[in-house]
Amino acid sequence: MAAVSGVDRRTLVRQPSVLPGFGLTFGFTTFFLSALVLLPLAALVFMAASMSWGEFVHVVLSARALGSYRLSFGASFLAATINLVFGFVIAWTLVRYRFPGRKIVDALIDMPFALPTAVSGIALTTVFAQNGWIGQYLSLLGIRVAYTWIGVTVALTLIGMPFMVRTLQPAIAEVQRDLEDAAETLGAGRLYVFRRIVLPAVLPAMLTGFTLAFARAVGEYGSVIFIAGNIPKKTEITPLLIVIHLQEFDYKGAAALGSVMLVMSFVVLLTINLIHSWGRRRLVATAH
Amino acid sequence: MSISLDQVTKRYQGSTVVNDVSIDIGDGEFFVLLGPSGSGKSTLLRAVAGLTGVDHGRISLHGRDVTHLAARRRGVGLVFQNYALFRHMTVADNIEFALRVRRMRAAARRARRNELLRLVALEGLDDRLPAQLSGGQQQRVAVARALAHKPEVLLLDEPFGALDAKIREELRRTIRQVQRELGITTVLVTHDQEEAFALADRIGIMNLGRLLEVGRPDDLYARPATRFVATFLGAANLLLARQSADGLSFGNGPLIVPHHEPSSHGRAHEVVTVLRPEEIELAPARDALRSPYMAEGTVEEILFSGALERLRVRLGDGLAGAHVVRSENLSEEPYLEVTRTQHEQRVFPLAPGLPVALGVRRLHVLPTPLSSFVAWAPTAALAETLAREPLLAELATRMKTRIAIRVEPALAESAPLPEGAVALRDSEAEETDADFSGAAVIRGSNDARAVEWLLARGVDEVLILRAGAAAPRRVLIHWVNESARRATLAVSASLLRHLSAEAVYVGILPEHERADAPRPLGMRALLDARSEAAADHGLDMRTELGYGDVAQELALRLAESPDQLLILGISDAADLGGRFAELLTNPASPLLIVYRRSELQAVPAPLESSSRAASGRLRYA
Repeated sequence: MAAVSGVDRRTLVRQPSVLPGFGLTFGFTTFFLSALVLLPLAALVFMAASMSWGEFVHVVLSARALGSYRLSFGASFLAATINLVFGFVIAWTLVRYRFPGRKIVDALIDMPFALPTAVSGIALTTVFAQNGWIGQYLSLLGIRVAYTWIGVTVALTLIGMPFMVRTLQPAIAEVQRDLEDAAETLGAGRLYVFRRIVLPAVLPAMLTGFTLAFARAVGEYGSVIFIAGNIPKKTEITPLLIVIHLQEFDYKGAAALGSVMLVMSFVVLLTINLIHSWGRRRLVATAH
Repeated sequence: MSISLDQVTKRYQGSTVVNDVSIDIGDGEFFVLLGPSGSGKSTLLRAVAGLTGVDHGRISLHGRDVTHLAARRRGVGLVFQNYALFRHMTVADNIEFALRVRRMRAAARRARRNELLRLVALEGLDDRLPAQLSGGQQQRVAVARALAHKPEVLLLDEPFGALDAKIREELRRTIRQVQRELGITTVLVTHDQEEAFALADRIGIMNLGRLLEVGRPDDLYARPATRFVATFLGAANLLLARQSADGLSFGNGPLIVPHHEPSSHGRAHEVVTVLRPEEIELAPARDALRSPYMAEGTVEEILFSGALERLRVRLGDGLAGAHVVRSENLSEEPYLEVTRTQHEQRVFPLAPGLPVALGVRRLHVLPTPLSSFVAWAPTAALAETLAREPLLAELATRMKTRIAIRVEPALAESAPLPEGAVALRDSEAEETDADFSGAAVIRGSNDARAVEWLLARGVDEVLILRAGAAAPRRVLIHWVNESARRATLAVSASLLRHLSAEAVYVGILPEHERADAPRPLGMRALLDARSEAAADHGLDMRTELGYGDVAQELALRLAESPDQLLILGISDAADLGGRFAELLTNPASPLLIVYRRSELQAVPAPLESSSRAASGRLRYA
């Protein structure tokens, strides 16, 4: 960063690249990723590998572990999907309309970023517990939120929402209203305009937002443990199971579960990224 | 009629963006809406397309009322300044968009696409993405896309704005060709007068939300009716002159006698003249001029600009103190813009500082009754303050005219008016009227004496100002006698062209006509007045009807809200002190009194010296 700010503006224009040469930057990138991401992850896998195959399978394929995977990934996926729809609506409203209090609503979006996740968890539990403000009415309808998978999804939705909204806002702002006007004068109805004009334009951002929200939800711990109730096999998420292993000083078991999460998350994120780049190649060849 | 707009009005956040616009555009016509940015032309175009709703008025396309019809059902094609192409679709998909929406078969779509690509000369580019095309090509695609569904009307919103000059010209030619080939009614919005001249069958010029004038390009250029059009379409020198039955004179310059019908307005009066820079002749001496001599001048500045030479000529003493209307840059210097051809330059080479004689080959008199303003007050200090009143200053700036100052102790409220002053009549005014030209402006006072004093001396319009009054949002128009109708309408139209205010004609019928159902006699006169305003002055007025006492009704309406101005036409000065005393003392609204004596006095007719223009041109031939 110091290199960037130190360089005179005129030389920035003259030189093809802002930062010093490729060798240096690439070296830094490799070092940074290795020290902070790859090495610790390798250590994790390494520790898990010190278990015997039988022990490993016993830990990662236990009924309790399988239940936690299902909840963690299922609820995260569901939460990211919910955010896909409602995050879009919120982002659209904030970009396209001017209403009193818009700035405040816009600032509220970032609250889940800033709050310690435990605080969100406690707050959500207060509201959704069976005697809570909303929970008491839902329980009349026979819906229990707190201490069920629904509660987990609610918590993960809250945590992921700002990622979706913040990613979508600039993309929606990019969609010129002229495009919609043009489509309308050409005879397209609103739904058609949305499907054929707006959606293709914001789809890459939606995928990115989905990825971020999903990744955040998989790793979430603090807010979930308060509202989930942590009933083994039912409302116990994988991160919690790992903590439980740690508390029993079963570091290897924790590492084994961690490795599984690592692999699964990597596969999911890679898939989404592939879809993303495939879509980008198909949709926008704008650079050339 | 292909497109018919009837009193279309659009307000946006309290301000009127499109103000009472009515136009009829014929089948196959190429109509250009020209105006500066913010004049409401794009909003009007969007209203025709159906992308913007209107607050008032009707829009019909081919006789079908579409005012409340959604854009996609109107059958129009719209081209945007920024192309608005769908970036994730190929050229082919972009063009076929409207056809796909209509579920046309693939083969038919392809046929139509090829036809359109040929039309805009882009064959073979079907599979490109918009980002792979140049700006000019993108706009061609946009034109083809807008024509795909065979719309009845093509609308273009500044389509060349984002292109450089060469490509602009090329695309302009293509669009004109396509328009001719298809015979499609086209409306193009632009702020570029050159573009308007090159394309238009007819031009409509907008300013401040109002459609000022509509006409053929050459007509509008040669015979503008308003200051705005005169200066917006090409360069123009606006000068105040005195017109009498014998001819025209600038300041204390000589009389110019153009070949024209003598004005039927018997008294000499002040008019605004338009002198195009190319219609001014320069010669070494008065005798060498081929056209009527106007004044002496000094060359101040010469700019070479390719084919033409642009000069700025300072007017000599004869005209320096004369009434040169302030130009755009508001400098007080009385100078004229002159352009000369290469040929003229060779015959009479000039350098800055050289004296020249100026001749007028051709001039045009604007039919505006409001030529300039004169602030009248009992002391110089009061007059100065009056001239700086925001409303007056704003009006003068917008009308590109000057505010003169006159001190007249007799106007002091306490001072007894000179004996017999009010009795001063036309015959005497004739001799002194040189001093009473322009619309008088006075500070509101508690009696009618000042106004009567001015009217008796030949002033025709008196604007009574209130301290701090702002530009009005609503202008109420009323005339007391039919003989004042014409003048009141002309003055109202002239004033309203420079204000973004709503015009309301207040018709007031005697109380007994209220019961005179079903059709009061006076009603017909009201309707006649409205159509006369529209036909003769291009002024669209709303009409409000009242019954009872005129002064009371008007006062009532003025009390409704601030920011109003009343234009009152009278033909008997005695009325002011009597029936309308209440209005004169109303502190809220400014009041413009239009006075016409009972005998019919027409607005001055435009005058020209076209035969002299011919001789002027022959000179160096």
